[in-house]
Amino acid sequence: MTTFIASFASEQDLVAATPGLRALGRIETYTPSPLESDLGRSSVLPLIVLIAGIAGASVGFALQVYAEAVSYPVNIGGRPEFSWPAFVPIAFEVGVLCAVVAGFVGYLVINRLPRLYDPVDEALLLRGATRDRWCIALVTDAPEQAYDLLRTLSAEQVEELPI
Amino acid sequence: MIEIEPVVLPGSNNSDMTDHVTSIALRQRAFFWWWIAVGPTASLTAVLVGSTLYLFYAGVGIWGIDWPVAWGFAIINYVWWIAIASGGTFISALFFLTRSEWRNSINRMAESMTLLGAACAGIYPILHLGRPWFFYWLFPYPNSMGLWPQFRSPLLWDFFAILTYISSSILFWYLGLLPDLATMRDRAMTRGKQILYGVMALGFRGTGKQWRHYNALYGVLAAIMAPLVCSVHSIVGLDFAGGATVGWHSTMFPPFFIFGAFLSGLATVLLLVMPLRRLLRLERYITTRHLDVLGRLMLTSSLFVGYAYMMDGFSTYYGGETAEIVNYNEKVFGYYSGIFWATVLFNVLLPQLLWLRTLRLNQVLVALISIGVIVGMWCERFAIVVVALHRPHLPSSYGLYHATVWDWLTMIGTVGFFVFGMLTIVRLIPVLSMFEMREILAPRRP
Repeated sequence: MTTFIASFASEQDLVAATPGLRALGRIETYTPSPLESDLGRSSVLPLIVLIAGIAGASVGFALQVYAEAVSYPVNIGGRPEFSWPAFVPIAFEVGVLCAVVAGFVGYLVINRLPRLYDPVDEALLLRGATRDRWCIALVTDAPEQAYDLLRTLSAEQVEELPI
Repeated sequence: MIEIEPVVLPGSNNSDMTDHVTSIALRQRAFFWWWIAVGPTASLTAVLVGSTLYLFYAGVGIWGIDWPVAWGFAIINYVWWIAIASGGTFISALFFLTRSEWRNSINRMAESMTLLGAACAGIYPILHLGRPWFFYWLFPYPNSMGLWPQFRSPLLWDFFAILTYISSSILFWYLGLLPDLATMRDRAMTRGKQILYGVMALGFRGTGKQWRHYNALYGVLAAIMAPLVCSVHSIVGLDFAGGATVGWHSTMFPPFFIFGAFLSGLATVLLLVMPLRRLLRLERYITTRHLDVLGRLMLTSSLFVGYAYMMDGFSTYYGGETAEIVNYNEKVFGYYSGIFWATVLFNVLLPQLLWLRTLRLNQVLVALISIGVIVGMWCERFAIVVVALHRPHLPSSYGLYHATVWDWLTMIGTVGFFVFGMLTIVRLIPVLSMFEMREILAPRRP
């Protein structure tokens, strides 16, 4: 197994190189901005956020109903114990808190973060991927073929990782 | 007529922007002005710590509060700070949803301002408790007394709202920071900084999967944060409106507080953005377009606030309740009338100058108007808290309120802490959201 890192000057060059490289092995892109082609793609996170929000709001609401109507009812001027409008604000806030925390934690879990070290970090070219270079990492069993292909593509620089 | 610049000056590109912004935080030696500013603000932070410790030792008797004015500076400053904090969330979340391009360059500064403003605000309700060590009684935990907090009280709603607001703001800010921390990690020159930013970036590398989920999540969280900030200020308004107190018991309060929050938030954003773009040489990325749009928004919110002031007077006289009218007359013509007229002058009249584009782009004038708005919003809260309380229903309970030196020290201390925090943030993290700037900037070569 050999790992190549190739850096491109623009997103178009990177996208153009992707199909050929994908045929040779496993690829991963490292880019300073999201790829145009990724922008519309679906993610499970909004669903997780929605479920966590609804669950949090329901639990928050249920807790208040239990406390005020079941566990320790207090008769204040004969007002109803199940005074649900008064429970809405806290239910909303608890729901929002759960949604935001679930979204953040979910993001870390889906991407297996924090991961402070990854073998590709050894590549010097990747330092540019968080600035203005568009990089692609290719893990392949056919290094000669990959090398020949990368020469024909518009890669600016190519780096081979000793992994 | 002065022409407005575009949202970034022509000739700007990604690479230069990234180098410029990262170099601000990665400099070995801080700027000269930075040291000059740190000295006094760090001392004021010490004043805040000192006055808080003395408060914990001596109790709230060191403040000017008494009957009938039992809410004083602590609540005024709490409302004032939480309103200042709102500006960041409006810019980072609300104007993200409207896809406003100008938001990308000032988003980071505004959000950092939100965190610090919310931190300053969050201190006060705890200080204001007579027995601050029991603050956790607000939380519904199973306890040996078999009691629950009063879930029907807006004051408890407020506890949950602030808790949610501060936690969500921190997470939203940190999520927005991840790609930029990765850039800092890859640009850092010393081992120590590489480790610091590497740990803070959590291993964000800009892979396809990381970006895809990132975009989806950021949009959803922005859509949650925008209603959240409105709910927070509505609930702050309900803290007052929920009590059957003269001058407070009004259905107008929730939107009124949102208007005020918007106004003071924008004024503070302007006060931070204008000096920072000069000191950090960011005129290329924060242009007169930003100052123009912030000035317009400040004018708009000033009109909203002016409308609320008119409705306040109208509903008082139209309602015809004697206590309310006495209270209102006292506010406008009585002992504290200077506060009311300062509010009208600073929040409604002076911002009208912003109708003219020439004046909107005059940065000295805009800074003065913004300071005026911040002072005016403080006066507004003084009028709501103190002036309303000092004329209750019973004439036998009338009374006056005067702040003590400890009130002032705590307040000035939070101002110092706020500026000190902003200076720390400027030194530590990128002041522009670099990955969002890349959306509106061209790459260096075609």
